[in-house]
Amino acid sequence: MMRARVFGLGQPAAGDDGFGVAVVRALRERGVPRGVEVQHLSDPSSLAALLDANVPVVIVDAVLGSPPGELLALTPDELATRAPLRVSSHGLGITEAIGLVRVLDAGADLSEVRIVAVTITRPAGYRYGLSAEVAAAVPRAADRVLQLLGVA
Amino acid sequence: MRGEKTRTIQVDYLARVEGEASLTIRLEGDAATAVRLAIFEPPRFFEAFLRGRSFMEAPDITSRICGICPVAYLMSACHAMEDALGLRVADPLRALRRLLYCGEWIESHALHVFLLHTPDFLGFPDAMSMAKKHGEWVKRGLRIKKAGNSLLSLMGGREIHPINVRVGGFYRAPARGELEALLPELRWGRDAAAECLEWMSRFDFPDVERDYEFVALRHPDEYPFCEGRLVSSRGLDIDIRDYDGHFVEEQAPYSTALRSRIRGRGAYLCGPLARFDLNFEQLFPEVQDLARRAGVAPPCRNPFRMLLVRMVEIAQAFTEAVRIIESYVAPEAPFVEASVRAGTGFGGTEAPRGFLYHRYTLDETGAIVGANIVPPTSQNQLAIEEDLRELAPVLANLSHVEATHRAELAVRNYDPCISCSTHFLTLNVERT
Repeated sequence: MMRARVFGLGQPAAGDDGFGVAVVRALRERGVPRGVEVQHLSDPSSLAALLDANVPVVIVDAVLGSPPGELLALTPDELATRAPLRVSSHGLGITEAIGLVRVLDAGADLSEVRIVAVTITRPAGYRYGLSAEVAAAVPRAADRVLQLLGVA
Repeated sequence: MRGEKTRTIQVDYLARVEGEASLTIRLEGDAATAVRLAIFEPPRFFEAFLRGRSFMEAPDITSRICGICPVAYLMSACHAMEDALGLRVADPLRALRRLLYCGEWIESHALHVFLLHTPDFLGFPDAMSMAKKHGEWVKRGLRIKKAGNSLLSLMGGREIHPINVRVGGFYRAPARGELEALLPELRWGRDAAAECLEWMSRFDFPDVERDYEFVALRHPDEYPFCEGRLVSSRGLDIDIRDYDGHFVEEQAPYSTALRSRIRGRGAYLCGPLARFDLNFEQLFPEVQDLARRAGVAPPCRNPFRMLLVRMVEIAQAFTEAVRIIESYVAPEAPFVEASVRAGTGFGGTEAPRGFLYHRYTLDETGAIVGANIVPPTSQNQLAIEEDLRELAPVLANLSHVEATHRAELAVRNYDPCISCSTHFLTLNVERT
């Protein structure tokens, strides 16, 4: 029986944008409790179809910000306030995907959705690997995810 | 923010790193004297990154290029490597690959059709606004997308960036029972796709006809995924190995991306409209009937009607997925073993957005010494720019906001790939 879900978002070939993927890997290496599903998504649009289980959800992602390597734990509303809706010709962001679920399903319980984000500077181009500051935040983020899910 | 120490952190917005695009149109009166779609394209990075790597790593590495169509990169890379090594993958492994591709077409097309494109036709700024009035259709679209994801999840090992695929086949082949568990949802999807197509056929489509040269794979027995000859609506009919002799890539001075053209001619179009036009008779008869009832049949040269063609391809993919599973017999081995040799291999498959070409040269140890990847979006870039040039007289008479919106609609028809090309579209209109 699934008790909680963790989604790591990001592109590992784009430097610090691979943070969510690195946290997913760290959680898998550490071992997560039974019933916690850990998944990497590179397209946030997928969230709209996956937030339907009414279980606690933690989304791990990178946000542009300074100084780099700071860890944030946000509710969807806090994220929406701080991150304006993006104009995209090609997909949905986290805020839009969550908003869509809210509109479609009045019964959906999103009160236990949290976003664990790390601040990064905008990647200049494609490369593999995290910067030292952002890499240092990976174990802390993994701790924070498990703590938010109440399974630490 | 419980437990965090207090300090000021400046956060701008989510840092999804995908391509960015800017579109510049220079108008003189009603005429466009320049149309420049500048896109950022990562395949060049990956080509350099691949050099020195083993042939076995190319599928997984290139599948990172695009978050929306990783299967296309896996398939083109595998076919190119198998071509270089003289390996042939036959049924039932071949059918499993088609099944995996069905999953990708379903989920990629559903994202575009329901969450991005339909709001344009119904006059909503985005899917969220549209869902307030048309929630049942959006729910249906999300369920269709999820059914595609479930195929990718089972066949690929994980939904995004499947890792179960390898040169020669799969690391593990699914058991019949695992596939059969998906049948009820896939049969539902087949019926739902037909209903959605009927609904969308009643939308108002702008009356636009373009004189495209369509380019797509064509296979004698099936709607094309991984194999066939590369053909065009103006008589091109070549082996994939001859791609470089007939197509050329050029660097646009205003873009990091390369644009393709057919040697001696120019712009061409690949993707759903091209596949549909060149392969209509290879759709299942019941899917052909669905298309005709929805008022879409070749020749279809209206870029806005790509919405309906994507829906037709979703119906085709659900129908094929059900058939493959119903007749599935698990393979004796999940993959065919490759013996390494030096050589050059060519692979071209039909990504949701169109033909995706890979070429690799290997040394005698199987290390990659050269790689060339041509994504569908760079092949379509010239055609997109030509659409916008024809739209110029309309844009000239609109406000900046309206012109941006109208130009975005025109670009969105093609579903240009974010990772492979466009994300934020910023429009500059220069009037002289």
